[in-house]
Amino acid sequence: MVLAEPLAAQSVGQGSFGRAGHGDFQRLSFTGSGSEYFGIWIVNILLTIVTLGIYSAWAKVRRNRYFYGNTVLLGRGFEYHARGGQILIGRIIVFAYLVLYNVLLTFAPFAGIALVLLFLCFVPWLVARGLRFSARVTSYRNVRFDFVGRAGGAFLAFIVGPFLAAVTLGILAPLASRWTYRYIGSNLRYGQRAFSTEPSVGVIYKSWGISAAIIVLGLLIVGFIAFLNIALFATAIESPDLLPADMQMSLVTLMVLGYILFFAIFGVAALVYRAGVRNVAWSATTFDGKHRLLSDLSRLRYTWIAISNVVVTLLTLGLMRPWAAVRMARYVNEHTGVRFEGNVGEIFSAIAQEGSAVGAEFMDIEGFDFGF
Amino acid sequence: MASDNSAFAHGEWHPPGSSRSVTSGLAEAGERLVASDETGAELAGGSLSAIEISARVGRIPRRVTFPDGSLFETDDNDAIDRFLSRKGRSGAGLVHWLERFHPRLIAFVAATILLGALIYRYALPALVEVAIAVTPPIVPQIMSASTLETMDRTLLGETKLDEARRGRIVDGFRRIAALSAAGEAAYTLNFREGGPMGPNAFALPDGTLIVTDELVELAGNDTEMIVGVLAHEIGHVEHKHSLRQIYRAAGVAALIMLIAGDIGSGAEDVLVEGGGLLALSYSRAAEAEADRHSVELMMKAGRDPTAIARFFELLETKLDDHSDTSIFSTHPGTPERRKAILELIAELRKG
Repeated sequence: MVLAEPLAAQSVGQGSFGRAGHGDFQRLSFTGSGSEYFGIWIVNILLTIVTLGIYSAWAKVRRNRYFYGNTVLLGRGFEYHARGGQILIGRIIVFAYLVLYNVLLTFAPFAGIALVLLFLCFVPWLVARGLRFSARVTSYRNVRFDFVGRAGGAFLAFIVGPFLAAVTLGILAPLASRWTYRYIGSNLRYGQRAFSTEPSVGVIYKSWGISAAIIVLGLLIVGFIAFLNIALFATAIESPDLLPADMQMSLVTLMVLGYILFFAIFGVAALVYRAGVRNVAWSATTFDGKHRLLSDLSRLRYTWIAISNVVVTLLTLGLMRPWAAVRMARYVNEHTGVRFEGNVGEIFSAIAQEGSAVGAEFMDIEGFDFGF
Repeated sequence: MASDNSAFAHGEWHPPGSSRSVTSGLAEAGERLVASDETGAELAGGSLSAIEISARVGRIPRRVTFPDGSLFETDDNDAIDRFLSRKGRSGAGLVHWLERFHPRLIAFVAATILLGALIYRYALPALVEVAIAVTPPIVPQIMSASTLETMDRTLLGETKLDEARRGRIVDGFRRIAALSAAGEAAYTLNFREGGPMGPNAFALPDGTLIVTDELVELAGNDTEMIVGVLAHEIGHVEHKHSLRQIYRAAGVAALIMLIAGDIGSGAEDVLVEGGGLLALSYSRAAEAEADRHSVELMMKAGRDPTAIARFFELLETKLDDHSDTSIFSTHPGTPERRKAILELIAELRKG
């Protein structure tokens, strides 16, 4: 690596910064706490309600600043720079569009369908803009991220990919995942230096196989339970009058259980898949051509955390949500890392952004946010 | 290390747009705020009004951005707060004060739940009524015209009923519509072949009623029964059920969207499903209201109010519909509806 400007030792920084040796992965950590986030969270919700939703934009800023700021790599946190006003404008535009869309769909269904098609053409552009906004309002060590992806790539990654995955009942999902990760991962920049992601479809398919097996096995179990109760269902369909009240109750219970089981199967499969793909894609990512990224989430542990988080959140009527969010952030961060080639201090001393990422074309209107 | 004596906060300084970092201290120098390195040399400085200090969120480091674009970062939030308070600016800020982990958060939780419940219970229905009041009549007209057009193109076919039979039904319908609040002119009756919809009757919000051939066949010679069903549909129009339902669904969706950012996606899905179930309960209430309307209108017309109950009986025997009411259904269970109608008739006859 050719340093643009060799720097004196004092600029190398402090603390954990010098620890990185060759071949070691520097892991991220999460330094936030559930109790601290609880206060931010409840005040966010309360003020959002009191201000009839207007505060939600500032709430998002505070939430993101908390999570980014506590995401720590080499002793330094990330920063989130978006302002509430920017996000509010984006939200107002999206909201106005949704109102217009719903009104049209209700009063003139055919015009509504035309609007859906129009929107589908518009979505890739919006997604690319939204990703760029998200990247540009994120910084690490005073240098901003950037995103240079275009609408065409977004069309492939977010329209064609999911469509293909859906019509093939998930069989082509790994292909869609590859497009999505490649689009995001290879268009991301940090101080003009590029990330590059080339996840192999074959490896994603290995991970996908586990999810597919979960779905097949789960559906077999549901089918088996239904088969065991086939007499009950047959009676229910042919002569419902013959069913005594308690049998009717058990029929309803069975149906509700089946419904929950069905969602559990697909939920688990999706979570397992998500963790697996993240591992594959992140581990196939390099920064500046040589520094490697790493993700080593345990599929089982990730799924367990996600599901137990939802259960705990529901059982406590939402009150444990901050704890759950922090728990997930901590787990994901601790299983994400970077291996720097060379002296970390020198690497970072050399990274600077050319001019300001927040240029004239950085409009407030770009505050569209999509929950990726 | 001269400046270190006066430095009130220590941290790292970054040149503009660079990730290079320098150990630094932040100090006041007259009216200026200055970041200097370990030797005391000034790295950056500016008047307080030209310097941006980020708001406090939890324990994350504070950013002090100088006019030249360079950045001083420190973990020492309290020192920054003390400095800002000295300068007469709010230190940590009101929002951070509210957010700190403290017993008062229990009150915030209670207030949040209470406000949420109040909005759902009072503000939402009130907003729906306001929305209905300001909706010009042209809206349900356009809505109905386009719905009918869509349905004609996709589901419904032309009626195959003979003129005489239609005449008897239209006659009964006119008399009953004349007794409704909006009068006969507000309603038009259409006959269609139901196709995939089967035996059915429905009302569009502008007062257009549609009855399918299949329903007429099912009723056989019992014209009274069809009139009873049409009286039920008039009830839907009179109470503006479809508009109300649309506005309500939109309101619930907006409420969920409003707080969704902070509840997590799993819990959000559950909320959306729950909202759907609540909408169904609302739809069941609307059916019961329309049933009552049918009974009242039929009695007013001096016709047989049990006609619609007979219709449900027919559904039970001919179509084998014994469905119970469950939280997953749009309509109340058929046997239950029949019972409710007969009870209402008994009550009205007594009174």
